[in-house]
Amino acid sequence: MRKKLLWSLLASCLFFGTAMAQNSTVNGRVTDEKGDPIVGATIQVKGAKGGTTSNNDGVFTIKAANGASITIQALGFETKTVAAAANLNVKLVTDVKALSEVVVTGFGGSLIKKELTGNIARVKGKDIEYMPTPSVDAALQGKAAGVFVNSQSGKLGQAVTVRIRGNSSISASSQPLYVLDGIPITSQDQSTYGGDMNPLTDLNPNDIESIEVLKDASAGAIYGSRAANGVVLITTKRGRAGKTQITLNLQSGQSEATKRVRMLNSTEYNELAMEAAKYSDDAESIPYDDPYSYTQYMKDIMSYHSYGQWDKDKAKSYDWQDQAFQTGQYRQADLQIKGGNDKTKFFSSFQHLDQGGTIRSNELSRTTGRLNVDQKANDWLDLGVSLSLSRIYNRRLPGDNAFSNPLQSAALLPMSPFLDPTTGLPNGTPPGDVNVGLYFNPRIQIDYAKYTQDVYRTFGNTYFKAKLLPGLTFQTEFGLDFLSQNEERYYQTQAVRNTSSPRGEGVNTGAFITNYNTNSYFNYNKLTAKHNFAATLGMQYQQSQAKYNSVTGTDFPSDSYQKIASAATKAGGSSSQSDFRFLSYFLRSNYTYDEKYIISASGRMDASSRFGKNSRTGFFPAVSAGWILSNEKFLSTNKYLSFLKLRASYGIVGNSEIGNFPQMGLFTGDAGYAGNAGQRPSQLRNDDLRWETTNQVDVGIDFGLFNNRISGEIDYYVKSTDGLLLNVNIPATTGFSSMVKNIGKLENKGYEFVLNTQNLVGAFKWTTNFNVALNQGKVTDIQGQVIEGGVGSMNRVQEGYAIGVYYTAEWAGVDPANGNALWYKNTKNADGTIDRTTTSVFSQATRVVTGNPNPDVILGLTNSFSYKGFDMSIFFNGVLGNENNIYGMGRYSSASMRYEDNQTYDQMARWQKPGDITNIPQARLFYNNGAQISSRYIVDGSYIRLRTASIGYTFDAKKLSKFKLEKLRVYVSGQNLLTFTKYPYWDPEVNADDFDSNIAKGNDFYTPPQPRTILFGVNINF
Amino acid sequence: MKIYNKTINKYLIAILFTSVLATACEKRLDVFPTSSISDSKALLSEGDVLVTLIGTYDGAQAATVYGGDIMVLNELIGNGENINFTGTFAGLADAYKAQMTANNGNASGTWASAYTTINRANNVLSALDKVTSSATKKSSVEGEALFLRGSLYFELVKLFAKPVGDGDYAANPGVPLVLTPTGNVSEADYKARATVKAVYDQVIADLTRAESLLPSSNGIYATKWSAAAQLSRVHLMLKNYAEAGAAANRVITGSGKSLASDIDKNWFTYIYNGGTTPGEYLFSIKVTAQDGTNALSTYFGRTISGISGSAGRSDCKIKAAHFTQYETGDKRKDFFVLSGGNYYTKKHLDRLGDVPVVRLSEMYLTRAEANVRNNTSVGATPLADVNAIRTRAGLPALTTATLAAVLKERKLELAFEGQGLPDAKRLQNNVGLLSWNAPNLIMPIPQREMDVNKKLVQNAGY
Repeated sequence: MRKKLLWSLLASCLFFGTAMAQNSTVNGRVTDEKGDPIVGATIQVKGAKGGTTSNNDGVFTIKAANGASITIQALGFETKTVAAAANLNVKLVTDVKALSEVVVTGFGGSLIKKELTGNIARVKGKDIEYMPTPSVDAALQGKAAGVFVNSQSGKLGQAVTVRIRGNSSISASSQPLYVLDGIPITSQDQSTYGGDMNPLTDLNPNDIESIEVLKDASAGAIYGSRAANGVVLITTKRGRAGKTQITLNLQSGQSEATKRVRMLNSTEYNELAMEAAKYSDDAESIPYDDPYSYTQYMKDIMSYHSYGQWDKDKAKSYDWQDQAFQTGQYRQADLQIKGGNDKTKFFSSFQHLDQGGTIRSNELSRTTGRLNVDQKANDWLDLGVSLSLSRIYNRRLPGDNAFSNPLQSAALLPMSPFLDPTTGLPNGTPPGDVNVGLYFNPRIQIDYAKYTQDVYRTFGNTYFKAKLLPGLTFQTEFGLDFLSQNEERYYQTQAVRNTSSPRGEGVNTGAFITNYNTNSYFNYNKLTAKHNFAATLGMQYQQSQAKYNSVTGTDFPSDSYQKIASAATKAGGSSSQSDFRFLSYFLRSNYTYDEKYIISASGRMDASSRFGKNSRTGFFPAVSAGWILSNEKFLSTNKYLSFLKLRASYGIVGNSEIGNFPQMGLFTGDAGYAGNAGQRPSQLRNDDLRWETTNQVDVGIDFGLFNNRISGEIDYYVKSTDGLLLNVNIPATTGFSSMVKNIGKLENKGYEFVLNTQNLVGAFKWTTNFNVALNQGKVTDIQGQVIEGGVGSMNRVQEGYAIGVYYTAEWAGVDPANGNALWYKNTKNADGTIDRTTTSVFSQATRVVTGNPNPDVILGLTNSFSYKGFDMSIFFNGVLGNENNIYGMGRYSSASMRYEDNQTYDQMARWQKPGDITNIPQARLFYNNGAQISSRYIVDGSYIRLRTASIGYTFDAKKLSKFKLEKLRVYVSGQNLLTFTKYPYWDPEVNADDFDSNIAKGNDFYTPPQPRTILFGVNINF
Repeated sequence: MKIYNKTINKYLIAILFTSVLATACEKRLDVFPTSSISDSKALLSEGDVLVTLIGTYDGAQAATVYGGDIMVLNELIGNGENINFTGTFAGLADAYKAQMTANNGNASGTWASAYTTINRANNVLSALDKVTSSATKKSSVEGEALFLRGSLYFELVKLFAKPVGDGDYAANPGVPLVLTPTGNVSEADYKARATVKAVYDQVIADLTRAESLLPSSNGIYATKWSAAAQLSRVHLMLKNYAEAGAAANRVITGSGKSLASDIDKNWFTYIYNGGTTPGEYLFSIKVTAQDGTNALSTYFGRTISGISGSAGRSDCKIKAAHFTQYETGDKRKDFFVLSGGNYYTKKHLDRLGDVPVVRLSEMYLTRAEANVRNNTSVGATPLADVNAIRTRAGLPALTTATLAAVLKERKLELAFEGQGLPDAKRLQNNVGLLSWNAPNLIMPIPQREMDVNKKLVQNAGY
């Protein structure tokens, strides 16, 4: 990408260079700090028109009067001015200042950050490399202002929530578009069991040169109907001319779950259970010694599930979380080789990663290789190819809402032993009594069942780039993204209580996604002393086809046979296919006058197979402008202010991620009965269905102080989305629950602040990068629809509130007189005021908004230090002002013995006698005393986390040379080392996978926490 | 100039390439689904109508409807007397405690699935003119669709509305009546609740016409006798005893079916019989390894180590009080299994067993009840009918058939099959501590429906 701009610079310089006045000849060479040639540096003689550029060896020739000043500029380097001499050797220093960064804008475009009028956040590959997060989206957490990332759970390879400037859709996807080296890649879940998986895991994050997040409409409009959720452009590393560089990085370490929840031990459980049973017996006037009394029932339960052990030893206790958690082992090796000459350049990489989860049986391994080659075919044609192959093996976990979710073992009785004393096998394993264990013992699934996912992923891209005229290039890219996935599940006979298949059950599924993309575009650049003009015109066509199949078998000869070939009953099978296509034309132009005034305009026409026949094509335009005040006379001499730019943008972008064929009225042939084929009406027609439209305004200030040692950005934006692609609820009496319509409006407004400082620049270096974003989302109109989701349908879309707010009765604590749970009535009085009296009759309490899963503030803070060979980096991220919903587990385990489940320790503070002041109601076995849906289960989910910290030492290069090493760095890094939060359960960064949707956020359902990982690593350059 | 020529060539290549791609692509946007078909092509032939009818059975097979939830709810609601429900599905747990709230998941699930199935039936009924191969075929298709629609409206009005006898059933709100397939959703699709009477009138019309159209035997699908049996229940609810007895009599005399020699034969249909429908079933839902869920087995069943294929969540433990109702020697009293210290009914252990909707033995009891009440002997004496059931259960014959004796046999014979609550309501018997017409024995109109459709009125107490 960078090269393209350089080529155009070269071209335009040649074009304008012919008329130049000439003196004597200067021969020179431009190199970087290491002595490698810098290609395409601009060399200009002060006061003279035009200039020249360095060739592939960094060599240039220019005419200049002796003693004249020559300025050498190259992207990414600090500009240098030297006196003319016959032979010049110019060494340029890398420019580390943020404002000088080159930012990729898509379709061959790139701009210096200084000249950007849209909002694009750039994350350097270097900032995320060798982090123990297997996918690039998770690594973005806290790195870019306004990019909210929630890793959802500690399960490996699972989907991650990413929201750029808030949630801008209700029913359509709110995830950004991911574009890898020009190809929009498949990033949606493809799994058939458990939580969503993350196809971005298939990309090696260490192959990434940079990530550009296109946030505002002016940056995103060139991706038209797909840009409303933001666009993430991922650019992989390329080779460069010079000595071949070999880098080997090895790291290994361990992970532990960040937290455990304190559950009751046997003594505590017994105390609470007996008290609860006594209440229920009293309430129904049952004598305690009646064989059918609640008291006797609980005694039987405790005896039965402990194999009778409890009768002998009432204190013997088991912490069932021991059966869920383990220490995960982490090992990773990366090898990268890059180099080339003036014609051919290459980058290649190899990676192997083995990661053990902190939950038993969870494993991930990735083997991946990449080769990126660029070839200069002749003086007008460049071509290249990128190819990445990867194989991911993931032994996955069931969904959070499955009895076999290992963390659900927390609900098992503390007196229930891990092993069946009669067989020595895990509790509840046949041939022992399979009904022991209050619920299915997840350990049985860990030992006697397996759920694995193998993914083979290919990202490939070829390009041809022709120089047509000076400044004008034409580029064609053909990209493909193949995803092949096989999932296998096998449940041995021992898992019968979970599967109801006494002779074993196997499931095998396949997903094959072929995604082709072509881009063809012209890029034109014209650069003069005062005017700088660039334009892009082109087209994009994408076609994606997904094919799925599955087969289920039961009744296996024995547990030694685990493939469906051996299944006596083929219990089920299916295949299906889905397609989508996009055809788009786009245009973008930038004009800069005198390095002061910048205007930019862009637009895209998008047609898609997803839209209704009455509205197949959409147009998405955007304009932006910038004014670099610091280049004006009245500011250019200011001592402190080194850079100041005002910018503003406005544009329209769309969202078309509503699945395939949402506009059609459909019948589906899956309605067979007892072996006979059947069909059913499955979807209502909408010929007018179209994309969601987001209008976005962004105004911003970029500034630099003290020679740009302090730089920053301030942005304010308003994103208004209308024509929401809404699954509109309709009366179920129609035979359908919803239909897709373009109805409704919502809005996101927010501020973003970025501050980068070089605090100390001497031998001891200290830099700080800080970003913070405040976003307020609000649904402004959904025409009175009520849309709910999440655990207990507690998340709701309601006009005037953010998407997914919790809508529940309001908890009012416990009545000190009788231990009853209380709620505020919140009903409207005749005079319009709200009745704030409390009630113990749940149905008398009106539901109100009691929380919001969307954060008010997200922030990231990185401090980097270096001194001589030492380097250290400390990175915090924070998510503030959001609430989580713990009702998923709370209704069972923080529920005053509503059921027999083991309870959280806080339940011991229950009401016991009149006058007790507590927030925990009286324990009442099988009675619902406070376990109803209320704000009792809506809790603060804010946190600040020490996300990563690393400390390293780089050995002196001179001492290494005798070992033929160029660089040797050893380091220790840690992830999720500290969490500051008030959250009562495992992890505030949570989003139960089985409930996840745009609406259903912030739910916890026995969801595994993030791992705390410590790694030791070594990085060697040859 | 050579350079110029080369440039021209480069241009040509670029322009040609782009235009070829552009024109080739435009047409490619017309892509059609392959797993589904357009609604405009779905109901054009007889074959299309027949597969839509199968789709209607598939709808009825949903766990939330005749897959078993309807029967489960009709046993569980307020039934602390016979059942100790320890399950964690909140919708059922609250139903069991008669503490349902308007967003009860079972209320919304059963409501939605019933109407989804009704819409499928309405699609079939709208396209009967495509069935042209024979008049018999057309009659059967219409009869089956009407049977399923009528049956589901009957179930809905029983679960979601006040029972007949509680106030004026011609004024009490029943459930919305939808009789045409849904096309473009308009204001007309936002329907108010029809009166209980209007719903019953529709049910009787559907089932009566179904009975007249349906064949006597129809494989695993609805027959004339399925419709007549359902009709006998409808009339019983309406206290039209003569019509109820007459309908039951038509089934007993016309269907050619007879009581199984042993009650065991009516159960374990898959485990022991490989899935053959028991002869006594007048209508049942098939469950196979590939398709369907027996929800009665899900909640009443349990994995018993001695019975291969048995399964279930062990949620419904049968209380001791239930057993006190049986006489000594009643084989039905032994039709329970003790496991882990609790009793479970053996009726629903079979995960892949048929889900019975209505059995022949009920017809004997219905005819007996009608005859006792009207002092008639339509088809047979009530004594003969009640003794037929008693003898089969291994009990001595009675000498006189009182109403109480008939109702007692009915209760025990049909225990845990989904007749408990409707019978209690029509007989105006208390359900546990609750009166027969207690509002919390009626399911709430789902909150979701209330929110979407402002014309709906909520039931009392929600």
